[in-house]
Amino acid sequence: MADKGFRSFLDDLDAAGELKRVTKPVDCRQLSALGEQADEATMFENIEGYPGWRVATALVSTRKRLAVAMGCTENRIAFEFEAKSARPIDPITVDTAPCQEVVMEGDDVDLTSIPLPLMHLFDGGPYISGTFAVSEDPEHGPNVGCYRLMYRTPKETGIDLVSPSDMRFYYQRALDKGEPLPIAIAVGVHPLDMLAASYKAPIDTSELALAGGLRGEPLEMVKCKTLDLSVPADAELVLEGELLPIGWTADEGPFGEFSQISGDVKWNPIFRIKCITHRKNPIFYMLQMPWENDWLAAPVTEAAGLQALRIASVQPVDIRAPVGSCGYWSLIASIKKRPGEGKNAVAALLSVAEVKYVIVTDDDIDIHDPDELDWAIAFRVQADQDAVILKGARAKHIDPSVKSWLLGKGGLPTTAKLGIDATIPEGVPKILYRRIKNYGRDRIKLEDFE
Amino acid sequence: MSPLATTLKTNLEAEAKQFHDVVDHHMDVPWPDFLRAWGELREIDILKRDDEGAYYIEKI
Repeated sequence: MADKGFRSFLDDLDAAGELKRVTKPVDCRQLSALGEQADEATMFENIEGYPGWRVATALVSTRKRLAVAMGCTENRIAFEFEAKSARPIDPITVDTAPCQEVVMEGDDVDLTSIPLPLMHLFDGGPYISGTFAVSEDPEHGPNVGCYRLMYRTPKETGIDLVSPSDMRFYYQRALDKGEPLPIAIAVGVHPLDMLAASYKAPIDTSELALAGGLRGEPLEMVKCKTLDLSVPADAELVLEGELLPIGWTADEGPFGEFSQISGDVKWNPIFRIKCITHRKNPIFYMLQMPWENDWLAAPVTEAAGLQALRIASVQPVDIRAPVGSCGYWSLIASIKKRPGEGKNAVAALLSVAEVKYVIVTDDDIDIHDPDELDWAIAFRVQADQDAVILKGARAKHIDPSVKSWLLGKGGLPTTAKLGIDATIPEGVPKILYRRIKNYGRDRIKLEDFE
Repeated sequence: MSPLATTLKTNLEAEAKQFHDVVDHHMDVPWPDFLRAWGELREIDILKRDDEGAYYIEKI
């Protein structure tokens, strides 16, 4: 049995003092508001109307909890992700699995038997937000991603398949043949598995092997009961079914997006469920939007930034994708700079996916301290020389400032990107940046005078 | 159609409502029962959406 699982992670959070347990009865309509107010991850032990079920939320809604999942310090997350993702480990198949302790097929399939939460004020219905979704294409093999599901009926959900993704590509190929696409949805897996699933890997790259690399052990998979697909054996809950060949015709949303904005109604396919399996005494995972999504995005963006800097022959010291820009739209990095490399670093980081603004500093700046960043920008930047604007770059529809509603159907938006080189300018003596230090600070201690 | 689904249908024929407004009007109903009734409306495919994302049903 694998060392890492959803429940072992809950134990890790507990040991770190990062898990709150709520034992009073809670209605599904109260879960989201309560979870959002807690300073810790939360386990709801008593769900009204759902005996035997528990609900866990906000498991990685802070960088500290993500560090617990990664098994490293907060400022090493990107470097750990980069190193471990370079050593993928293929999954293994097991014959029996906790996720199949209870099986509901055919007429017994009933989503209303699962404690589905109503999460945000303007959501179009209850959502399953934290999914590890498996699909397969005859040519390209298995693929894993994270897709939200909106409750429709006891046997159907909507699924957001609007953005380009491998599953969308697989679905389109099935749709072209007039066939449904079989998919399996696992809920309640280790955050490292979610991290691998959310990684935008090239289509022939195995997210399952990436999950193994991040774990340092193979991910154990078990064959589905009704599909020729495999799911993580350790999952709490699995939905087996198919995306109906109806194209993008069913209303789905709004849902609280990872951009921290309430979305709008989208037109999407329908997921019809043929089988539900789960553990005995299962735990439903309610991924808290946007924070858990954003913190899961951050290491992927940071690792891409590190890779871009190394390709540009710039030596990174630290990097972070701030949660304020959803772990996705900005990067801040410190580097060991040689002449000209501030600009090289800015150019490299602006090339990362949809990163929209970047700041690059020298390695004497603590990029996790906003006051340090302000100081660097105030005294090391001349806007006419150190601000770089890149026009006409690829953007995401979800960013309101790109005005995607002005585009025709299927149109892709573009954006301008901003980079700030906040390294010490060439030609300015470093001694001019000598920081204030109190006389005797290293040897005179306040506690000796108390 | 269940009595609760009938009530939901009547209300949404009268005016468009956000999903949370529909939920707020039936807080006394156990959540699984509410979801089953909502599912009944979905199954007969009568729910429409307006520009704000609110649900409504066209009265025939």
